[in-house]
Amino acid sequence: MNNTHTGQNMIGLSLFEPRNDSKEYGQLAFMLIFLIILITPCSSQAAKLPEGLTWLTNNASPEWSSAQAEKGGLVRLNISSFPPTLRTVGPDSNNSFRSFLLDNQLPLVEMHPNSGEIIPVLASHWAYDDDRKTVYYKIKPHARWSDGKPITADDFIFALKFNRSKSIVAPWYNKHYSEEVVDIIKYDPLTIAVIGARAKPQQDLHYYYSIQPRAKHFHQLDKNWVNRYNWKIEPNSGAYQVGKIRKGKSIEFLRKTNWWAQEDRYLRHRFNADQVLVKVVRDPNTAFKYFERGELDIFNLTLPKLWHEKSNSPMFQKGFIHKLSFYNQTEQSASGLFLNLENKKLQDINVRKAIAHGLNFNKIIKQLLRNDYQRLPSFHTGYGDYSNTDIKPLSFDLTKVSELLNKSNWKEKDSRGIRIKGKQRLSFNLSYGNKLHEAQIIVLAEEAKKAGIELKPQYLESTSFYKNVIEKKHDIAWLGWSTGFRPAYWQHFHSDNAHKPQTNNITNFANKEVDGLINQYRLSTDEQERIHLAHTIEKRIADESIFIPSTMVPFTRAGFWRWLKLPESIATKSSKSLFDPFNPTTGGLFWIDAKVKIDSLSAKRSGNGFESSSVINTDYKN
Amino acid sequence: MSHSPTLEFVLGLAMHRQIRSPWQKFKQLKRGYFSLLILAGLIVLSCFAELIFNSKALLVSYQDELYWPIFSDSIEGKQFGLDYEYETNYRQLKKTWQMDSSNHNNFVILPLVPFNPTEVDLLDGLYPPHAPSIENQHYLGTDTIGRDVLVRLVYGFRIAIFFAITLLIVEYLVGVFIGCFMGFLGGAFDLFFQRIIEVWSNIPFLYIVMIMSSLITPGFWSLVLIMALFGWMSMTWYMRSASYKEANRDYVLAAKMMGASNFRIIYKHIIPNSISTIITFIPFSVAGGITALTALDFLSFGLPAPAPSWGELLKQGVDNLDYPWIISSVVISLSFVLMLVTFIGEAIREIFDPKHKVYYE
Repeated sequence: MNNTHTGQNMIGLSLFEPRNDSKEYGQLAFMLIFLIILITPCSSQAAKLPEGLTWLTNNASPEWSSAQAEKGGLVRLNISSFPPTLRTVGPDSNNSFRSFLLDNQLPLVEMHPNSGEIIPVLASHWAYDDDRKTVYYKIKPHARWSDGKPITADDFIFALKFNRSKSIVAPWYNKHYSEEVVDIIKYDPLTIAVIGARAKPQQDLHYYYSIQPRAKHFHQLDKNWVNRYNWKIEPNSGAYQVGKIRKGKSIEFLRKTNWWAQEDRYLRHRFNADQVLVKVVRDPNTAFKYFERGELDIFNLTLPKLWHEKSNSPMFQKGFIHKLSFYNQTEQSASGLFLNLENKKLQDINVRKAIAHGLNFNKIIKQLLRNDYQRLPSFHTGYGDYSNTDIKPLSFDLTKVSELLNKSNWKEKDSRGIRIKGKQRLSFNLSYGNKLHEAQIIVLAEEAKKAGIELKPQYLESTSFYKNVIEKKHDIAWLGWSTGFRPAYWQHFHSDNAHKPQTNNITNFANKEVDGLINQYRLSTDEQERIHLAHTIEKRIADESIFIPSTMVPFTRAGFWRWLKLPESIATKSSKSLFDPFNPTTGGLFWIDAKVKIDSLSAKRSGNGFESSSVINTDYKN
Repeated sequence: MSHSPTLEFVLGLAMHRQIRSPWQKFKQLKRGYFSLLILAGLIVLSCFAELIFNSKALLVSYQDELYWPIFSDSIEGKQFGLDYEYETNYRQLKKTWQMDSSNHNNFVILPLVPFNPTEVDLLDGLYPPHAPSIENQHYLGTDTIGRDVLVRLVYGFRIAIFFAITLLIVEYLVGVFIGCFMGFLGGAFDLFFQRIIEVWSNIPFLYIVMIMSSLITPGFWSLVLIMALFGWMSMTWYMRSASYKEANRDYVLAAKMMGASNFRIIYKHIIPNSISTIITFIPFSVAGGITALTALDFLSFGLPAPAPSWGELLKQGVDNLDYPWIISSVVISLSFVLMLVTFIGEAIREIFDPKHKVYYE
């Protein structure tokens, strides 16, 4: 829940702020009036807390860290480029380094990484209003900024002002915190209420209307804010703070020796390394060499080539570097082929289904991805109860392709074996914006020829690819969306967003009946009803074959030097990475065994070895 | 008709003075001459690449009937008694018929390298890139997707060399004429184009290509056009000075007096007399064209995938140094072709070198 993004963005296009899906202007007008009334007279005066609130907390869920964890040591990671700024909002801030900073800004509450229950982080208690829009929080009295000042309600009120301010030059944040979060009210220095714009189920409120405090005493909001705060180290609430910065080379994070939350339930025994050094290594091949030489401690081995081939080198075989693969159950990116219904040929459902049957994903998985990856079943996979697990993707089947195409009169073939109808050829551009996927796309296109369908791969540089797709100029686009907290249908499948540029409905799907279901889904505050609606909508969308799912990676895997230790359970159900250093929910579980490190380094010097280790954990495998 | 003694004397003198034609001179410069032969051979060979490097069979004999798949439309598998309705896999067909002991009359003749440049060959139990192997007929191995490196090199060469030649023709057509007019006409026209060229050549070419290829998907002709837009200037300066010099020669003045049009003077008199300048630059422009396309492909701003391309192979090679056959094949081929072109260029420069000219007394 440290992620406030309600809209979704295309993966691999981190330049763009996520898109906000709120477009309800009537409601907006109402909100503005409401805001004016609310802000003018009373925001400075202390408000009165409503009576009869039920304050909730959670001290009963199991912890997922290990009591054996030792503090101390150094861990070295790599990133591919040095961040252009240390700000977390504003121009150039949406870079891959930002999560290191944001993860050290704790949220009010989190979701338990295994059970999904709400657990306290910055707040000790929370309560829900009957309006289903407002949540009340009690801030932990011992919560401190890294400079020792207490975190209070004023920092939250300032955070709202900050995120709405033009000085930060962040339109997405301005819009989100103006349209989605209506207000934050201070009742006393440690009690606040966050009021959202729309009613939601209780648990969802924490996610959609979450806000992280900003140190009021640190920021001076004026037109020079962007430049002045480029390289300033902002006070944070997490376990680490930025230490030494070597521009262009590395950034060091140091563990706070007396971190305020180090004995708090769910946060204790975590964030153990004294020092986390993030090094810049531009080329992934070079980075791997550094890792093998022991200059990096951890390396992500998700790519099949790394896991199967490159990790057979001596340091792995001699047991200095261990391999670990861990199946998780996280929301999967909706990646695959998006068929644009503005294309006349694609308006025929038989053609769309024929394309789906003409794509040989099994071959890709078997012969390119080494059976590591799995076929993605549907658009929203891994969203817990919200996912419709009855949906199965259409499989490669040339007989079915033939039947479907014949039905729609695509009977003839031209000299190259491609189906034709009159003067039309069954040929489409398949555009993509990431070279990593080229191999898969070329194999798919080769196989589709067998079905008499021509898919012409069209690589566009990522920015122009984004533009091309968001303006709906593609025939078929290959991409994946970043994941959200709950299935998001309105932005992708509602007719409000069809046939107009700059919206996320890139298939231009418009169906009155589905519109109705989506509206119901958005308005409903009853969880069971929402789940049922989500299943129905998902099935309708799958039946339309406008999105053909590609593959998913239901695991995370890494190589690490043997002195890094993990809890017995290794990681959590929702861990996206095994050695995340800072993530408030799943990060900081590892520690460094100083004795093993000394032994290992001396063994390395003397040329000895240990038993090699390659573990695949399937506790959370579906 | 018999020659008068005077004419014979003059002719003989001329023969003596001029010694031999440029072509004969060129033939004597062995390094350049053989480079030209090899390069011409390669170009001709690449024009017939479909006959040597192709996944389609040259000839299939099935049930006493002959088929020429390379020269015909796609032939479905069921035509040859197979159970599918898409284009026949001739390699497999050959294997099946060879294994079948009851089969005596049916046969398949495959090209020397039975792969096409975009075809992905995924071998069971192995993951691309596949190492060079005679058994699999991947003589230079495959790239990271499983496409044959040798085949992609050949087709990539064809594209690169024809790209360079087309680019050269377009650039020279524009550059030579504008340059000649600048030198010949002088005055405002000259001044105007001088400024245009100065401004134009300061526009960073690479950025423009990046912007252009973000707006349109570049193809062969659009790339030629974009590159020619920024490449025609270099020739203008040389031609300007050449025609500036020629413009005041007697024969040009004579032509002028006889009422020849400017275009005719340039086309018929000035260009033929400054041809040596043009020819000397040609090989270096070809080399420049090849490297430019390779560089653009390397940066992914060139021809769209899956077009076979040296730049793309080079990129794959650099990213995958663990599979040395990719990088070594493309680097050796690229250096070899550029070397040939450079040798030809040196030889041409040699024959037009004014130091070797025999002067009239």
